[in-house]
Amino acid sequence: MTGRRTLRIGTRISLVLHTRSLLVGAVLVVLIAVLGILALGLGDLGVPPTELPSALVADSGAASFVVKTLRGPRLLVAIGAGAAFGVSGSLFQRVTRNPLGSPDVIGLTAGASAGAVGFGVLWPGIVPLPVGAVIGAVVAIGIVSVATGTGLSSPGKLIIAGIGVQAIALSFVQFVLTRIKREQATVLATWLNGSLEARNLQDVAVIAVVLLVGGTAALVVSRRLAIVEMGDDIADGVGASASRTRTGAVIIAIVLAAGGVAVCGPIAFIALMAPHLARVVARSQSPVVAGLTGSALLVVADIIVQFSPLPQQLPVGVVTAMIGGVFLGWLLVSQWRKGAL
Amino acid sequence: MAERRRHSAGRYAWGVAAAVVLLGLAIVLSLAVGSKPLEAQQVIASLTRHGDDYVDAVLASRVPRTVLGVLVGAALAVAGGVMQGVTRNPLADPGLFGINVGAAAAIVTGIAFFGATVTGYIWLALLGAVVSVVLVYALGSAHGRSATTRIVLAGAVVTAVFSAYVQAVSLSLPEVFDAYRFWVVGSLAGRSLDQAWLILPFIIVGLVLAFLLAPGLNMLALGDDIATSLGQRPIVVRLLSGVAVAILAGAATAGVGPVLFVGLAVPHIARSVSGPDHRRLLPLCVLLGPVLLVLSDVLGRVIARPDEIMVGVMTAFVGAPALFIALRRLRGDRA
Repeated sequence: MTGRRTLRIGTRISLVLHTRSLLVGAVLVVLIAVLGILALGLGDLGVPPTELPSALVADSGAASFVVKTLRGPRLLVAIGAGAAFGVSGSLFQRVTRNPLGSPDVIGLTAGASAGAVGFGVLWPGIVPLPVGAVIGAVVAIGIVSVATGTGLSSPGKLIIAGIGVQAIALSFVQFVLTRIKREQATVLATWLNGSLEARNLQDVAVIAVVLLVGGTAALVVSRRLAIVEMGDDIADGVGASASRTRTGAVIIAIVLAAGGVAVCGPIAFIALMAPHLARVVARSQSPVVAGLTGSALLVVADIIVQFSPLPQQLPVGVVTAMIGGVFLGWLLVSQWRKGAL
Repeated sequence: MAERRRHSAGRYAWGVAAAVVLLGLAIVLSLAVGSKPLEAQQVIASLTRHGDDYVDAVLASRVPRTVLGVLVGAALAVAGGVMQGVTRNPLADPGLFGINVGAAAAIVTGIAFFGATVTGYIWLALLGAVVSVVLVYALGSAHGRSATTRIVLAGAVVTAVFSAYVQAVSLSLPEVFDAYRFWVVGSLAGRSLDQAWLILPFIIVGLVLAFLLAPGLNMLALGDDIATSLGQRPIVVRLLSGVAVAILAGAATAGVGPVLFVGLAVPHIARSVSGPDHRRLLPLCVLLGPVLLVLSDVLGRVIARPDEIMVGVMTAFVGAPALFIALRRLRGDRA
C-alpha cells in the first residue's frame, strides 16, 4: 500500500503510519505555532517574536504580563479547546457515519453549557463544573436519541432533535441568568456565546487534563473504529465488539466536547468543520489531524475577534457560528447532491 | 368513517367553545398575575367600571403585553398552520424555518445602520421575512425533491447564520441595543399599546389571506395533480401562502422578537380537534395560539420571581417537546 509505512519497535509494537497524515500533521503544528506567535505579537500590547523567550523567563515586566497572564493562557485554551472539539467531532462523525453528526449540531454542546451553568452557578458545590458539563451533555444526547425514535442513526432527524434540545438547554441557561447577580450575568452571557476572554492557567490545566485523557483514549478507540467501519460482523469476528466500540467512542467524544465547553463555552461548529477539513486535506480519519485542525481554526477565529476593527470585542463563538453556519449550508447541499441525506 | 366521527361537527363546536374559555382564562390570568398579583374579581371590576386607582394602574401596565401576546400568538399559530399545510411538513414552524430570525436580522440591521425607529420595524421585518422564506425554500428544494427533513435543515442553516449576525451586531453596539437585549430572545415585557396597533393591520391582512387560502390548502393536501384537476393552481396557492406567512411571521417578530415553536405546537394540538380541514383548523389556531403564548408569558412571570423570563424562552420549554413528538411520528429519515 502506498502512503503507509509500518514502524516497528522490537517485535511487540508496530504502528502503521499514514505518510500524508504525518505530513499534514507536521504542517498544522507549524501553522499553529505561527498563528500563536501572531496572536501574541499583534496589536498595541503585542510582544514581538524576538522578545518572546525573555518574556517567558522574566518574572515581571510588561511583556511578561502580556504573555503569561493576558494572552498566553487565552492562546493555550484556544489550542486545547479547539483540539478537544476537533477530536470529539471526528469521533462523533465516524460513529454516526455522517459528516453532520457533530456535537454542536446535535445539541450536545448546548446541553453541556446548561449543565456547566446549572452545576456551576445554580447548584454550586455538588459536582465540579466540568463534571456538570458532562452530565448536561449526557442528558442532551439521551433526549436526542429518544426524540429521534431511531437512536443516533438517521442524520436528518438527529439534527432536528438537536435543534429542540438546544432550545431547551438555552432556555434553561436564560432561566439561570435571571437567578443570579447582574455582574455574574454579564460574564455568563459572553461565555454563553463561546468566549476566550480572560482565561487563566486553571482553565489551561482543565483542558490539558481533558485532552490528555480523552485524546489518548480517542487514539485507542479510533483504531478499533477503523475495524468497525469494515462492518459489524468483521469487527465482532476479530474481537473488537462493534457496539462496545461505538459506545466507548461516544463517551470519549462527550467528555472531550464537555471539557471544551467547560473552559470556553459552547463555541459553535469547530467540531463540525475540523474533521471535515481534515478529511479533505489529509484524506485521513485520524483524530490527531482533526484535533490539530480544530486548534488552528479556533486560534484563527480568536485572532479575528481580537484584532478586528470593531469597537467592541465579539465573543469568538459568534464568528465561528457565522462561518460554520455557511459551511453547514454548503455541507447540506453537497450531501443532498450525493443523495446521502 | 371512524375519522369522520372523530372530527365530527359536534366535537369541533365543543373544541371551539373550550378554546374560547381557555383564551378568556389566559387573558384574565395575564392581567392578574405578576409582581403585584390581583384577584380575578378586581380585574373584572376594574375592566367593567372604574375601580381602585392603584389597581387600574397595575392593570394598565399589563394590558399592552396581553394584547400583543394575543395578536402574536394568533399570527404565529396560523403561520405555522399554513406552512404545515403548504409544505405538507409536520415540522414546519416560522421559527424553525428561520423566518422569524430573518425578520429580526433585518430589524437589527435597520436599527444599527439606518437609525430605524419603531414605526419602521414592521417594514424591515416583512422584508427580512420574505428574504428568509425565499432562502429557505431555495436551499431546501435545491437538487430535486424537497424532503421533509431537508427543508427543516435549510431552516437551521438560515437560523444559525442570521442569529450569529444578530448577536454580532447587537453585541458590538451595546449602547444602541441595550433596550433590545430582551427583544432579541422574544419578550412581551415593556411594550406599549402603540406597538400592538402598529402590527394589528398587518396581522389582520395576514389572517384574512390565510383564511381565503384554506380551501386551496385542502386541495394541495390531495397532491398537486388532483388539485390542478379540481381547478386550483398550486403555484398560486403556494406563492400566496408564502406571502401570508411572511406577513404574519414578520409582524409577530416586529412586535415581540423571534419566538420559536408556537407555530409548530399549536396546529398539532388544534388538528387533533378539528381534523385536517384547514377551514376548521386555522380558526382554532387563532384561538389556541394566544392561549399558548399568553400562558407561557404568565408562567415566565411566576417561576423566576422577582425577575421575569422572556416569553421566547418559555415557549421553547413548552414547544420543544412538541417538536420531539412530531419527529418521532415521522417514518423513516425522509418521510
